[in-house]
Amino acid sequence: MSSRRLGVYICYCGGNISDFVDCERVRAAVEGEEGVVIARTPMFACSDAAQQEMIDDIHQLGLDGMVVASCSPTLHQLTFRGVAERAGLNPYLYTQVNLREQCSWAHTDQPEAATRKAIQMVRAGIAKARWSEPLEKIRVQTVPGVLVVGAGIAGLRTAVALSDLGLAVTIVERSERAGGWVAGFGSMYPHDRSGAGLVAEALAEIGRRDNITLHTRAALVEKSGSVGDLVVVLDVAGERVSLNVGAIVVATGFDTYEPAEGEYGRGLAGVLTLPEYKGLLDGSEGPLVVDGHPVSSVAYIYCVGSRCESCEHGHTYCSRYCCAAAVHASLVTHERVPGVRQYHLYRDMRTYGKYESLYTRARQQGSVFLEFDPQEPPSVEAEGGTLRVTLRDLLTTGKELTFPADVVVLVTAMQPKRNEALNEVLKLPVGLDGFFKEVHPKLRPVETVIDGVFIAGAAQAPRSSAESVASALAAAAKSAALLKKGSVQLEPLVAVVDPAACTWCGLCAEVCPYGAIEKVLYDGKEVALVNEVICKGGGSCVPVCPYGAIQVRGSTDAQIRAMIEAMEIEHV
Amino acid sequence: MASAQVDLGFVDSVALSADFNAWACMNCGVCSASCPMGIDLLPRQLFRHVVLGLRAEVVQQADVIFQCLLCKACEQNCPAGVHIAENVRSLRGYLDREVFGLDRRYRVGASRPTKEGQHAAAHG
Repeated sequence: MSSRRLGVYICYCGGNISDFVDCERVRAAVEGEEGVVIARTPMFACSDAAQQEMIDDIHQLGLDGMVVASCSPTLHQLTFRGVAERAGLNPYLYTQVNLREQCSWAHTDQPEAATRKAIQMVRAGIAKARWSEPLEKIRVQTVPGVLVVGAGIAGLRTAVALSDLGLAVTIVERSERAGGWVAGFGSMYPHDRSGAGLVAEALAEIGRRDNITLHTRAALVEKSGSVGDLVVVLDVAGERVSLNVGAIVVATGFDTYEPAEGEYGRGLAGVLTLPEYKGLLDGSEGPLVVDGHPVSSVAYIYCVGSRCESCEHGHTYCSRYCCAAAVHASLVTHERVPGVRQYHLYRDMRTYGKYESLYTRARQQGSVFLEFDPQEPPSVEAEGGTLRVTLRDLLTTGKELTFPADVVVLVTAMQPKRNEALNEVLKLPVGLDGFFKEVHPKLRPVETVIDGVFIAGAAQAPRSSAESVASALAAAAKSAALLKKGSVQLEPLVAVVDPAACTWCGLCAEVCPYGAIEKVLYDGKEVALVNEVICKGGGSCVPVCPYGAIQVRGSTDAQIRAMIEAMEIEHV
Repeated sequence: MASAQVDLGFVDSVALSADFNAWACMNCGVCSASCPMGIDLLPRQLFRHVVLGLRAEVVQQADVIFQCLLCKACEQNCPAGVHIAENVRSLRGYLDREVFGLDRRYRVGASRPTKEGQHAAAHG
């Protein structure tokens, strides 16, 4: 393998590298190395012209390996593997050296030392490339079924969409009934459709399909296998059920922020959260009555638990759905209670997009909007059987205003649903805000870093029910796109055991965090075998083997040793 | 400073025409900037006082309300479609009736045509 003919490309990165690393000196130092046929210093290795130059080199000089010393593999490893493939070369004969993040950016104050380090790094890359071997991706047959976690509006809609695409769906719901928050709502914005009705419709559609199974009082308790071929264990009302699926969609929804005692009068009779107030509106007819008192005035206080930069409780983010939801509740109230006085105490009104029309309607109907400074929040006090609200209104030249209200509605934040047990099983990354995190908000908005696990709805971020359903359909489309092809390809950079050298001491199996190693019989003796589909190529097993019988492809002992030796060569 | 008591019923005693739409004001201030009289109170702050029923503030600004030329430079530029001139006329009517006691024909309940359901009884 040491007879490779290599092309080496040391990228300037338009100055990101060359401002601190003398790329020409690096080239001069390595161009005479064994195996190096050509060494170049492109301005941008990732440019179309530079990529074409590499392809031409491979063809004209008969190269069978390449090294690009540029940026992090996260950014361009796939780009240059693609170059190799287009030139007819096995993509695993390409080696990337991270000269930017690991050298030039890190040592901007020491260009001489950075250049010397760069020479060592490129030499190591060349050594690794000389010992690289062509590898083929691992192909896994996919299971045409999906597990949906959570039976709120997002989970139910995901299931219906996947069913329509011909995939079997199992839904697990932790609580006793399906439908989540939406099932408890009456009229919802923007179309005044009833939430309970929307859920009933979804459940009826599910009932008509024989490829959807819905379990309530159920939870996902174990997950193993790999993307496309997962084994999940469910706890269904105390009974363990094992299931084979290709992908998982997590749609576990949200909780509502509970204000602290005394926060905006919380604890006083008549001070309700928005969900409580919606429950009151939806659960009664005719004149509105709270605690036996007829309601003729309502004050809404916005951003309770949201957009808190420095408050003790609460969250820094905007909860997004609540401006429109509260304004809509005031429209419903206006219908119910003729002549009702309604006050909206807000920080910024965010009835974004089409929901602006709700805000306009509310003002037309006589709702009054008052703006407060978060440094001087409104106060709510009990006074003579009613509530008295006082604020300094920025829209009335900062004048202090006061008015009575029968009900004060605290427009509370959405917050992540707490579900430690599920987090333990899935190990999905969460953001600083506590919501599940996508790979990229624009490019991969419903995928997670765990292959085959997708997220949908308000488990990912605060959003309205309409937005939750949109993301649910996106998650359905992405998981179906994965499974409908029939197979997935996995990185071949996994551990392999040399059965001749292995004696099955079991140490490798003990340290593997994925449970990828099992004991098998080989030629009459017990040896370790790596399940390539489960193995992530982490390499914990390699150093514990007393016989050197286990290696990780793409980082073999021969490669690592050659890299270390290359770094020991004297500088030029 | 003592708190001012809000009275959402007040506006009904000012608005005698369906065109009265002080509620539409979004407090941007374009009106104040485009006023040739340099009347910086009118109209946005004034309308706010009307909507909130701060009667004392409105009455205190009676002179300013009558200084307006009704030229509609503000109305031309208003992004929220507030009928500023009509609103000012309504306010002048209110002051005439309820403060100066001038024109009894325009008292609430008189025969002037009104839009159904728009107007409440006289304020307290």
